[in-house]
Amino acid sequence: MTTAPRRQHTLEVLVENAPGVLARVAGLFSRRAFNIDSLNVGPTENSAISKMVIVVGVEGHSLEQVIAQLDKLVSVISIKEILTGNKPEAISTQPDYQN
Amino acid sequence: MTGATSLVKSLEAAGVEVMFGLPGGAILPAYDPIYDSTIRHILVRHEQGAGHAATGYAQVSGRAGVCIATSGPGATNLVTPLMDAAMDSVPLVAITGQVPSAAIGTDAFQEADIRGITMPFTKHNYLVTDPDQIPGAIAEAFHIATTGRPGPVLVDIAKDALQKMTTFNWPTSINLAGYKPKTTPDSQAITDAAALIAQSSKPVFYVGGGVIKANAHAELRQLVELLGAPVVTTLMARGAFPDSHPLHMGMPGMHGTVAAVTALQKADLLITLGARFDDRVTGKLSTFAPNAKILHADIDPAEIGKNRHADVAVVGDVRETIAALIPALKAALAKNKPDLTAWLRQMNSLKSTYPLGFDVPEDGSLSPQLVIQRIGQISGTDTIFTSGVGQHQMWASQFISYEHPRTWLNSGGAGTMGYGVPAAMGAKVAAPNSTVWAIDGDGCFQMTNQELVTCALNNIPIKVAIINNESLGMVRQWQTLFYDSRYSNTSLESKRVPNFPMLAESMGCVGLACERPEDLDKTIEKAMSINDQPVVVDFRVHRDAMVWPMVAAGTSNDEIMIARATAPDWDSQEL
Repeated sequence: MTTAPRRQHTLEVLVENAPGVLARVAGLFSRRAFNIDSLNVGPTENSAISKMVIVVGVEGHSLEQVIAQLDKLVSVISIKEILTGNKPEAISTQPDYQN
Repeated sequence: MTGATSLVKSLEAAGVEVMFGLPGGAILPAYDPIYDSTIRHILVRHEQGAGHAATGYAQVSGRAGVCIATSGPGATNLVTPLMDAAMDSVPLVAITGQVPSAAIGTDAFQEADIRGITMPFTKHNYLVTDPDQIPGAIAEAFHIATTGRPGPVLVDIAKDALQKMTTFNWPTSINLAGYKPKTTPDSQAITDAAALIAQSSKPVFYVGGGVIKANAHAELRQLVELLGAPVVTTLMARGAFPDSHPLHMGMPGMHGTVAAVTALQKADLLITLGARFDDRVTGKLSTFAPNAKILHADIDPAEIGKNRHADVAVVGDVRETIAALIPALKAALAKNKPDLTAWLRQMNSLKSTYPLGFDVPEDGSLSPQLVIQRIGQISGTDTIFTSGVGQHQMWASQFISYEHPRTWLNSGGAGTMGYGVPAAMGAKVAAPNSTVWAIDGDGCFQMTNQELVTCALNNIPIKVAIINNESLGMVRQWQTLFYDSRYSNTSLESKRVPNFPMLAESMGCVGLACERPEDLDKTIEKAMSINDQPVVVDFRVHRDAMVWPMVAAGTSNDEIMIARATAPDWDSQEL
């Protein structure tokens, strides 16, 4: 839909630390044909929650769809966009996307 | 108690009254307590039948449908109904047995990774290996299936979890960190929506299946009559607004009415309620409703802007949304009431110039559209109709008048041939006092007719009309139109084999046949008079009837054809 130049966006996604969650997220990107540039999974202070850092190569409308579809996964607890650019990483002030 | 007993107690606690299923090795422990349960278990002949029956039950009752199967092929036979339910937002809970937890991953007998297989088309799913987690998983499954945008949830339970001892702890509340559907719309969005409507001079209500899911039909009618704008109801929304209402322009989309399709194309505002801009409605998306602003109300935030940008988005339950919109619109209209007279005159002119119709075959053979129309007229508007997928489905949507919600069940998003008979079974179980007709095709019927045995043995007296054109008719229609009438593999020869009335009789049903127009009404009346057995009528119809109007796949709605190579006479219309 958008013709804006391709830019990377970094999403910090908190998910349930449960079997199959990585498959849910990876499967979503695959079946909806979203580009994924990198994905890292790590623990958080809460052992029930893991953190995924996902770099996606989409913009605008497509980025909104990625976030909205990710948020539909019951195993996804919250999504924040991490702003990257000239400045060091700063977490956006946007509220978490909610169902 | 065992995990199996805990499972059955959980289903009882969730309020389940009926489930459709078929046992096997891995789920066998659960079938022992099912034997003693108050839940009615209906033994199907194929798991796909269980899934579609649960869907039919859910679509009529508004409650979650439940199906149950064993591991491996039992579970994979549920895949099609689960995908179907996901596409049409049906609340469904599927329970499957899994091989013992120690055997998972070993390619054990009847092992299938059904959680992995169903991830793309379940709203959520579970693999339970600890019996203590069974009640929580079942409670969450029903919660997720029935709230927000409804959908299917699968709970796969390892056999050893069913066999081990546990205690039953039904959760008193459910709190899922990642699942909090927003049902109440933002007040600012409602205000913006009302203002947008009040500025519009060519608005159309684009009504989708969400209105039926949310039980919002009464509120919808109030809102429509408040504004006085034309309405279109999608294939999934037939019955959400009465067909007899003067503001109803019919169904939009690939086989929609000229009035409904044109209303969307010429509108300056689409008031989109629980609909999702499906390709079968929009045609070529870049030319869809080119002059319209979009008001999009849906419970699923991911639908907003998915296919078409929304100028005003309202996320929430569509019943709450409409209820809030009514006073807001009254206030907005008090300040500025647009004059819709010219717009309505144009639409009514199209509606009267291009009504749905069909040609009766010149050779005196039976017209499929006439069969379906007469079944609708004779059985009345309280009847529940299901259909398979294809020409008969489109005709059943076009030529039966739907006045009430939850009286039209079909496979809209998935397009699942074979949906009709098992869905009718589930519908009849949910509404035993209603007449239930499955309008089926001869192709569809041959996919799932085995469930007529289930119906005959369990006192589920549905009626099935086979619209027998001895073809995969819709595919044949496309071959006629787009493949130079080269009928590759669409001839079923089902006027020769099978003998449908004999097949029906062999399954414990009454089998009837009708070939001549003069026998049509008395055959339907005969079928209507039999209420203690399922009835199957083989309507042997003309082979070459086609579904019109038609917007060919991938083309613009502006290129709607009312018959082969015949476009509406646009020059005579003031648009």
